[in-house]
Amino acid sequence: MAIVVPTIVERPEEPFVIGADELPEQVTLWQDAWRRLKRNRVSVIGLVIIGVFVLVAIVSFFWTPYPIWRQALGPTYQGPTLIHPLGLDDYGRDILSRVMGGAGIALSVGVGASVIASLIGIVLGLTAGFYRGKIDTAISLLINISYGVPDLLLALILVVLVGRGIQNIILAISITAWLGMARLVRGQTLSLREREFVEAARSIGTKNLQILARHILPNALGPIIVQATYLVPAAIIFEAFLSFLGLGVPPPAPSWGAMASEGYKALQIAPHIVLMPCIALSLTVLAFNWVGDGLRDAIDPRMRK
Amino acid sequence: MSRGTLVYATQRLVLITFTAIVVSSIVFIGVHQLPGNALASERRLNPATEAALLHHYNLDLPWPQQYVLWLKGLAHGDLGESLVNMGQPITPLLLRELGVSVTLGIGAVLVTVVVGMSLGVLAAIRQNTWVDYVASTAAVIGYSVPSFVWAFLLILLTVTGFYAWSQGQIYEDIGWGKIEQIPVPAFALGLPYAAIVARLTRASMLEVIRQDYVRTAWAKGLSARVVILRHALRNALIPVATILGPLITGIITGSVVIEFLFGIPGLGKEFVTSILSRDYNIVIGVFTFYAALVGLANLIVDLLYPILDPRIRYGN
Repeated sequence: MAIVVPTIVERPEEPFVIGADELPEQVTLWQDAWRRLKRNRVSVIGLVIIGVFVLVAIVSFFWTPYPIWRQALGPTYQGPTLIHPLGLDDYGRDILSRVMGGAGIALSVGVGASVIASLIGIVLGLTAGFYRGKIDTAISLLINISYGVPDLLLALILVVLVGRGIQNIILAISITAWLGMARLVRGQTLSLREREFVEAARSIGTKNLQILARHILPNALGPIIVQATYLVPAAIIFEAFLSFLGLGVPPPAPSWGAMASEGYKALQIAPHIVLMPCIALSLTVLAFNWVGDGLRDAIDPRMRK
Repeated sequence: MSRGTLVYATQRLVLITFTAIVVSSIVFIGVHQLPGNALASERRLNPATEAALLHHYNLDLPWPQQYVLWLKGLAHGDLGESLVNMGQPITPLLLRELGVSVTLGIGAVLVTVVVGMSLGVLAAIRQNTWVDYVASTAAVIGYSVPSFVWAFLLILLTVTGFYAWSQGQIYEDIGWGKIEQIPVPAFALGLPYAAIVARLTRASMLEVIRQDYVRTAWAKGLSARVVILRHALRNALIPVATILGPLITGIITGSVVIEFLFGIPGLGKEFVTSILSRDYNIVIGVFTFYAALVGLANLIVDLLYPILDPRIRYGN
């Protein structure tokens, strides 16, 4: 990362002997956080699961064992067998291929919505917190009103209004998911703008935009990254809800939520149709939450359990 | 209730009404920008019939005029008529469904609070033992598993599992109308949020348990039950109460998925069916109801704070 980040975390003074051969090793905040994250066993497991998930998602864009839409590959409702390790669904489609395809959709929606929602939240939060006054009042009112809007219902309406393409779904989720980020960034900005280094920057005539980009944003980056990490699983669950209700990515795209919804009618006789996408979904969300928890503890040691 | 609280509650009620009207107006205007009209279908209509139908729903007017008429109706509590089932007035329908949704919601909130707090307290008083590890792991897994996945697991357990185990003696019926049909959807809806409450309760209990007044309570020789429940838990609940608002909002919107899955005739299922059948009058109506419901639930939570923490007072 090109931006040099001043250390916020106060570390205990290490014993330092004058005249010692080596200076104590210089550790940036990010190296420090990475070390702590590596020591957190659960987070490492989470990172490994995410790695596998991303790999599967990328592979699925180019290759799946069977085409995701090919029907009647064998007996419908067939349980796991050697050639179809996760079984076949109610149309005789290969569930493994479809779960792999679902990973691609979940990854695109999760990361896409997290990035867009974070950008909206960061821009609005920085503006409100830095300029205060009327702009802050207006943005805060917008945030407070939006908190009163049931997000899932708004997203459903948006999807009906703009159509069910994957970009539209990412957009609909982003529009409902930026609130937390905006609140967080606004709070951070409000406190950071009063700090001495901002005053110093202002006193030498640094422009507002530069203060925001070089001094305030980098110092708020820790909590922002944690929040953005948590936004990924939230968006994945949200997309699963949408497609479960029949308003997600249109078929034959194999969204995990839609697969679960389609398999529901056969839950009694062929539970594997429902369970396979549900396991993939829960495992992915769990992994992101584990990494989020680990990042939070690593970046802000005061929050540690 | 003090005067300050009353003033505060009134202000909030005004804000809730304002929010509900603003958001449903946005939805109203958005829906009316859609091309075509809600009555269009493959079924060819006689032009005269179609004109009469459009006139019946005021759809022949330009949308600003329709909007004013809709606002007038809203002021009288009249949300108009269903587009799909002609002649069906929306307000009584939604009021009936509101009762169903509120019943399910209260069940889910009970699950959230009871399961979440018990797990959290248990983990805190047995910190760093296997009880704590199991409860803490269960909590992360709990909120990573979406509500509809919980629903499938619970259905497999109660419907298939109990049936086989009791050799056909116990039969769980999925649906709505009987009291024994409430727990399964309520658990499915409440468990993810119970996990969040468990984590927060644990963290806040651990903080409180080390404080001097708790040590004093132990030193006085009070029983564990009194120390934990009356001294520690009461104060540990204050931070937990702050997330109760967003949590209830989550439960209210989450009920859309659960009602759809279990076929429960509540507001959520109505919303999904009417959005799929493009019955926009009902969509707008349900949205208004939900916005009001979310606001009211949050207001109730805020009015509960002073009971938990007497230091908080509204006004003055």
